[in-house]
Amino acid sequence: MEEGRVYLGNLDVAAKRARDILLGKIKLEKVVDWANAFSLWPVHLTTSCCSTEFAATFGPRFDGEQFGALPWVGPRQTNLIVIEGTVTRKMACAVRVTWEQMPHPKFAIAMGACALDGGLFYNSYNVVRPWEVIPIDIYIPGCPPRPESVARAIVELQRRIRSRRVASSWIREGWRPDRDYVAPKEDYCSWQRTSSPVPL
Amino acid sequence: MVEARERAEGVVGPRRYEEVLKAARSRAEEALRAVGVSFSIEEGKGFVDLVVDVDSVVRAAEALKAAGFDHVVSVTAVDYPKRKQIKVAYHVTSYLDPEIAGGIVGLAVYLPRASPEMPSLTSVWVSAEFMEREVYEFFGVHFRGHPDLRPLLLVPELAEKHPLRKDFVVREESIYEGVPERVRRG
Ligand code: SF4
Repeated sequence: MEEGRVYLGNLDVAAKRARDILLGKIKLEKVVDWANAFSLWPVHLTTSCCSTEFAATFGPRFDGEQFGALPWVGPRQTNLIVIEGTVTRKMACAVRVTWEQMPHPKFAIAMGACALDGGLFYNSYNVVRPWEVIPIDIYIPGCPPRPESVARAIVELQRRIRSRRVASSWIREGWRPDRDYVAPKEDYCSWQRTSSPVPL
Repeated sequence: MVEARERAEGVVGPRRYEEVLKAARSRAEEALRAVGVSFSIEEGKGFVDLVVDVDSVVRAAEALKAAGFDHVVSVTAVDYPKRKQIKVAYHVTSYLDPEIAGGIVGLAVYLPRASPEMPSLTSVWVSAEFMEREVYEFFGVHFRGHPDLRPLLLVPELAEKHPLRKDFVVREESIYEGVPERVRRG
């Protein structure tokens, strides 16, 4: 796993590996990590303007699918969430609900200056930091980040999954170790219970 | 409608914005005068607001709609804490009438800041509905007769504070505020 190498799917390699797995030459953990790294399917949850660059990443010009990432609509079939920019207080609930609907093991990328520390909306009364809402693995700086950066983040996440055995260890433990650092769901979703209309 | 469409077919080429605004403005003034609504005018570079009384705002809106202003572009408000007033402005223009299409005229009212309340204009222009909800949560203006007056973009606790009023204090954060110790240490 040397630095800077781009991990691409290759049918010959895959076939060889499948043979090795069947013969018991490769540990199953490694296979799990390998499979997870090349099936990072991001759910397309648009929170803000960074989503245009996210969409461009998977368009024909930048072709993010070559890294094994395919944007999908339903959170039940995905294992990667990309926070695309600013997260407002109301949207934080949507982010959290989407995150909880995704199957384990799941990964998160925070995209854009707004998702890092507010960015353009620093000091705003209506913006939350995504790392308070869900545990984040990779941050991408930029306003907005170029599609290359998004692709780089995905490659970086693949490298991390494979070199640190992230996916297999999480599956073994049954949960993410950093799962408890985020705020409780109530903090973001309690407004939904308020009935309408609200007296001001 | 049919007539307006026929007229639209006869129009060629874009016009300067000043011309369109002038046409729209004189059309709006005529319409208000015809129904006997008194108004004053506030204008600046590129905009004109017709300020009417709260009592006659619905009549004025109906007159404008009948004169061809068929949709609301934006509803906004301005807070004047010293004068103790809130100005609510409806910016209206037309899709179908080529004479005034694109010329944006404001219909404004001044409300007392302590209890801002005015009749909703959703019965006249349906497109005002969500924008009135926005003004409601950001400035606390009550729209009488609005079909669904709830906060739109903000959570209810925040909407109660009316963030776009001038006396709302934004809490300035330091760079490390709220960052857990484990993140701060890196
Ligand atoms: S980082 Fe820039 S592009 Fe991304 S959400 Fe924030 S303002 Fe928009």
